[in-house]
Amino acid sequence: MAKVNFPNLEPFKDELWLCGRCGDCSLADKIVASDRGVNHPCGVKNVLGFETYSAKGRIMVINDILDGNLEINQDIVDLAYACNICKNCQETCMATADGIRIPDMMEALRKDLVANGFSVQKHEEIENSIINEFNPYKETKDFRLKVFGDREFPEKAEVVYFTGCTSSYREKEIAVTTVELLSKIGINYTVLPDERCCGSILLRLGREKIFGDLTKHNIESIKRTGAKMVVTACAGCYRTWKIDVIEAGYKYDFQVLHITEFLDELISKGVASFELEDRLRVTYHDPCHLGRHSEVYEAPRRVIESIGNVELVEMTTNKRYAHCCGSGGGLKGTYGDLANEVAGNRIREAEETGAEFLLTACPFCFRGLKDGARHIGSDIKVLDLPTFLLDTKISKSMKRVKEEPLKLKFMEYLANHPMIFDGLKKGAIIEYEIEDSRFHIEVTGKREIIANPQRADNPDVELMFSPAAVTTLVTFDSEDKYAEQFGKFFKEPTDLEWIRFNLRLNIVKLLMKGYRKFAQKAGLI
Amino acid sequence: MTVVKAAASHQLYDELVAIVGQERVNDNPVIISAYSKDACHLEAERPGIVVMPNSVEEVQKIVKLCAKTKSPIMPSGGRNGICGACLPRVPNAVMLDMVNMKKLVKLDEDVMTVTVESGMRWAELIHILDNHGYKLGFRGPYGGNAATIAGSVSINSMGYAASKFGPAPEGVVSLEVVLPSGEIVRTGSAWNKDAQVFTRYSSFADLTGIFLGDHGTLGVKTKLTLKIYPNAPFSSYIDLGFTNLEDAAIAFLEIQKRGLTEELNCLLARESADTYFPGLLDSHPGINATIHSVIMETDQQLAERKVQIIREIGQELKGKDLGNFAAQIHWAEKFNEVQPMYNNGFWLNTCHLRPIVRLPELMKRMRTIFKKYNLEKNGIKWIADALAVDRAYTAAWVTIFAPTRDKMELAEKAWNEMLDAAIETGGCPYWNGLLWENRTLEKVEENFIQLYRTLKNAIDPDNIMAPNVFEGGY
Repeated sequence: MAKVNFPNLEPFKDELWLCGRCGDCSLADKIVASDRGVNHPCGVKNVLGFETYSAKGRIMVINDILDGNLEINQDIVDLAYACNICKNCQETCMATADGIRIPDMMEALRKDLVANGFSVQKHEEIENSIINEFNPYKETKDFRLKVFGDREFPEKAEVVYFTGCTSSYREKEIAVTTVELLSKIGINYTVLPDERCCGSILLRLGREKIFGDLTKHNIESIKRTGAKMVVTACAGCYRTWKIDVIEAGYKYDFQVLHITEFLDELISKGVASFELEDRLRVTYHDPCHLGRHSEVYEAPRRVIESIGNVELVEMTTNKRYAHCCGSGGGLKGTYGDLANEVAGNRIREAEETGAEFLLTACPFCFRGLKDGARHIGSDIKVLDLPTFLLDTKISKSMKRVKEEPLKLKFMEYLANHPMIFDGLKKGAIIEYEIEDSRFHIEVTGKREIIANPQRADNPDVELMFSPAAVTTLVTFDSEDKYAEQFGKFFKEPTDLEWIRFNLRLNIVKLLMKGYRKFAQKAGLI
Repeated sequence: MTVVKAAASHQLYDELVAIVGQERVNDNPVIISAYSKDACHLEAERPGIVVMPNSVEEVQKIVKLCAKTKSPIMPSGGRNGICGACLPRVPNAVMLDMVNMKKLVKLDEDVMTVTVESGMRWAELIHILDNHGYKLGFRGPYGGNAATIAGSVSINSMGYAASKFGPAPEGVVSLEVVLPSGEIVRTGSAWNKDAQVFTRYSSFADLTGIFLGDHGTLGVKTKLTLKIYPNAPFSSYIDLGFTNLEDAAIAFLEIQKRGLTEELNCLLARESADTYFPGLLDSHPGINATIHSVIMETDQQLAERKVQIIREIGQELKGKDLGNFAAQIHWAEKFNEVQPMYNNGFWLNTCHLRPIVRLPELMKRMRTIFKKYNLEKNGIKWIADALAVDRAYTAAWVTIFAPTRDKMELAEKAWNEMLDAAIETGGCPYWNGLLWENRTLEKVEENFIQLYRTLKNAIDPDNIMAPNVFEGGY
């Protein structure tokens, strides 16, 4: 057996040890775990069947590789690339505070395979295309802006629309509709004259050697525009800018927003509002790179929910536990048929909602889901969110949501009593629900909190209150008395006054965030 | 669809492909790797080939093929048990991965039974039944997200609601089993083709019982009929604390004798409280053992009254009412309580059955072992917990966690002594598997094991079904 080194995979050895092989990453069902909406998380395993394709199976294979029990050959390469890196398994996993990082491990394995000369020809071609043409599609670099036709863009602007390769060369409709939408709303924006691939696909495939060069070029190009904000409609580019670029040690002084976050801000400021003539039911697919990887779940939903005459219905799996569309992690390029099967399953979930439209917010998901619908013969219409919005009536009138007075009162009370959250670490987020009205508290520092009127993207805990319980709680001047009564409502609920909660994170993570003291103050433990 | 191609070198590969198709058969070592262990660290032989049947007809054909060629066959469920029960003991076995067989066959509300295929997982069935207004008795082992119902009843699993309904096999009314010959037998009232499947005991010997706890040695279970009950929407909870384990055990037995709870847990040792439920006893320095009760009833007053009775039982033994947070979270986190404990390291468990009255004796022995091996100083955490079962016994859980690979050798030494101590103090394992088999075979009465072997030989003369299980050696 030839000696193969795994410098990228070896550091995960201790974490691999902590996998207890419970099988949740493979077979967990939606009923369990405090209503966490897990449901057979691995889209690839769900198609291919064998346990080997789930995270648990992959961990066993990786252990065998590192222990020398398996020979490195094409079979290992095949397994390594038959993964969406979608992170649903990690989100499901409770063995460590953040879940065992199987997506990172798969990328590490891919890097080691490439370094040891195990290659997939298609991937080499992608890398060469990016090196030569700055896009993975072997398209001429000089034609990148051709997608916009004769449209001209200023050299300087407040906002840069970072188009991304897939929208520039393949799913051109997204690029075209996004700029039209930005223009229609009246945004001062431009696109880069010399945009290059963000490098996402290279990282996902384990080929990172030119990632730095791409990043440096793009940062410099953005700087030249003078923009303070970069907006992208590609979830892959977004994750790269928000996570990979930072982790690779590069700094930039502009803000990066996904188009859904940008539109959400515009809607909340009254800069734009959208309305359809006729009532329509839609559902939304969370792109993995926007959702699980970057924790943006609510902005796209707020945008959709703000559209007049549109009803948003959720699929069985959504947000943190949404099934992948099958296009991520290089799967579609490597195993197109498998990706179509994964997407087909996602389309079936969308069909179950009875929605006429399946919206998403990523060119990869858009393409994958369209192919998936075709693959299974579904009539559901798949659209990217900016494209969908462009067909609505766009105006500037602010759609004011009338907030419930009790919610506002409770928010104000909590904001004035930060000691209630004493002990919670910075970044702790608690979601509050009174009937259907929601808001969240974010701990921003020692005894410092912000009460945010919106739903949280990824709360630690969800607390549900009866209106009568809130009415009583807000009467206490003392935080200790509040905590005591809070505990009482939980332990001794009545039909009128009660508190319930769901733990959205595992108990190890909650302890790390300081929830032990919170529970003790409330007399819960 | 296949990504990792089969090696196609197993002697039955072509014939198995002919039965189930290429996509559901694989003998590639990469695929096999994921079937080499369950959720414990013990290893036996790796399967030679894995097959995923979709129907009883396919199972029949596979078993007949194995019978004809005298090839070993090993049925397996979710493979997340913690005793190595699903691992083959002989090389080159055909492993059946049964998880594709997960259909609900019949919900018979007239006779309050549900029939499911054997690969149905507990969590999924609970969900389905809940939508219809029903619940199971025993609700599945702690790994019930992935554990299959047939897997659990094949190894006598313990878990949720065992306090009221007993272990996994207690809920079974009837089984459909593919025998080692490939013939099918249906047990319970299913012997009468014209009858509904409504009782386990009827007219003849209880053949269902032969296959319960058989560890897959007597056939492949393909369908199971289980008892169901109306949902009980009214819940109440209580946590009680005691200054010593002896008092806690007396209260625990009294509560259990009276059949008051759906779920009843006992924390045996304060030292393991933070592993069991972080922060639970921080505010209660004098408490050294706790009891956590979950009550579910169809009537609210009944649920509330039962909590009162439990409180009174506890208070008679100077127990302290600690509220109900731990009991509520325990129940709400069903099937996800164990996983966060993996954060402490890989676990070595000693799960076994014992009378409630013999819990203090167990803990005395275990503490001696912990001290002898300096577990605490070596960063090896542990948990000591007991789940009440039936009227007066428990599934005792004393488990240690090896935080890193380099601590495994020490942890294993201590663990082996703990297993001996469990047996020596009157413990009887519920499952057997690689975990317990050598120890149980040392203790088992000759007539008992011989009767089993006679039955096995009669049903499986060529010894193709899970060969060498219950024979020791690993």
